[in-house]
Amino acid sequence: MQYQESHVSDQDLALLADGELDPGRTPEVAAHLAQCWFCRARKQDIENAIVDFVRVHREMLDGRLPPPAPMRAMLKARLAQIAETNRGWWPWPMLQTWCYAGAALLVVVLAGTFWSYWRENPSRASARRPVPVSFPEPSLTPGAVATVNKDLICGTPRPKNRAVPASLRRQVFEEYGIPSAEPRAYEVDYLITPALGGADDIRNLWPQSSTAAVWNARVKDALEDRLHDLVCEGDLDLKTAQRDIASDWIAAYKKYFLTDQPVAVAR
Amino acid sequence: MTVFEDEVVAGIARIEAPAGPSPLEQEVVGLFDQFQDRLLRYLLSMGVAAADAEEIVQEVFLALFQHLRRGKSRRNLRAWVFQVAHNLGLKQLSRMRRTKQTLVEPEGLELERRLADRAPNPEDRLAANQRQEHLLGVLRAMPEQDQRCLSLRAEGLTYREIAQVLGISLSGVSLSLGRSLSRLARADKG
Repeated sequence: MQYQESHVSDQDLALLADGELDPGRTPEVAAHLAQCWFCRARKQDIENAIVDFVRVHREMLDGRLPPPAPMRAMLKARLAQIAETNRGWWPWPMLQTWCYAGAALLVVVLAGTFWSYWRENPSRASARRPVPVSFPEPSLTPGAVATVNKDLICGTPRPKNRAVPASLRRQVFEEYGIPSAEPRAYEVDYLITPALGGADDIRNLWPQSSTAAVWNARVKDALEDRLHDLVCEGDLDLKTAQRDIASDWIAAYKKYFLTDQPVAVAR
Repeated sequence: MTVFEDEVVAGIARIEAPAGPSPLEQEVVGLFDQFQDRLLRYLLSMGVAAADAEEIVQEVFLALFQHLRRGKSRRNLRAWVFQVAHNLGLKQLSRMRRTKQTLVEPEGLELERRLADRAPNPEDRLAANQRQEHLLGVLRAMPEQDQRCLSLRAEGLTYREIAQVLGISLSGVSLSLGRSLSRLARADKG
């Protein structure tokens, strides 16, 4: 047992492997390791454990990371908004505080009034909420493009629609007046698909009902494929395709499929 | 967002490059690029749901922007962002517990399935699975603080930074990591 006690402790071996051992102790531990196979094997075990842990940690979690671009775009927009809001608007901080307090009071009074109204007229209040089914609201979702360059669209493999970050999805639901929407009832969809140059931008996103029987997401996907093929085969101008799908995608479907009803779409 | 051409499609919003973000905004976005994956991984490893983790990361960098705008300390911003993310993650977990939502299993079955298909042939795969499952079992059995120390270390934080993030002593961190690593080493051999 006395022999065992002369070995380097697990904690010191871990510190050494991590480069965190006190410099004063490092020569002593290094000298021991130089002559002790047992401790060198233990140090190697710890290093192997680090490698295995890092591998498992990465493999478990990397697949769950969202695409960075939409999160980055969202952050930039929010930073710009904060910077704009706070930009030297009022010279007297005290007055500004009072002004905020007044605004907060006004919000409380208005909220109270609205609450009483809603309690008395629940059906009217809820009737004002737009519940989108098959068509986006043009004032909220006019469509937004990142590129009108056909070579970029056709020169690379067709991108799949990226997953929309949860924070952006929530913002879309709020914009459409359905903040507590059941997520599975709606698919937050790109109006102009990225495969046609559509942008990761809230103006290009809308909550498409998953339950629509006729003009649903699969039908729109078929239109997107058709437009992409037409553009890349040189039969349709990219900007026309973007404009048509953004202004009325159902009309665009009828126009490019020469039909009034969706054709059967294979699942 | 990259703008490729200057023509505007009539009637459709054209996404322009931001009109002159301030140097501070650029700096914060640069830090976001540097740390977002690491922060997300750490939050997911804590058991925070993916959607909440995204929102927390946004909050962290908005808070960082305000922090720097007020001229506060720029010392070790890496530890600062992890500390804020950790605190917001804890709040979110306690909110989830209060509302009795299901906590996301940090090393859930779905993840184990993902690990399953890496090895080249069934025998190797089986051996790799068994080893990894064994390792996951050992990890799950560790105290939360030990798991967090390991995750933060795997994300590249120094012992001193881990101590700052978790609000524990430096010796507490080295004790925790020494204990965890020797457990993992034993598990590896077993």
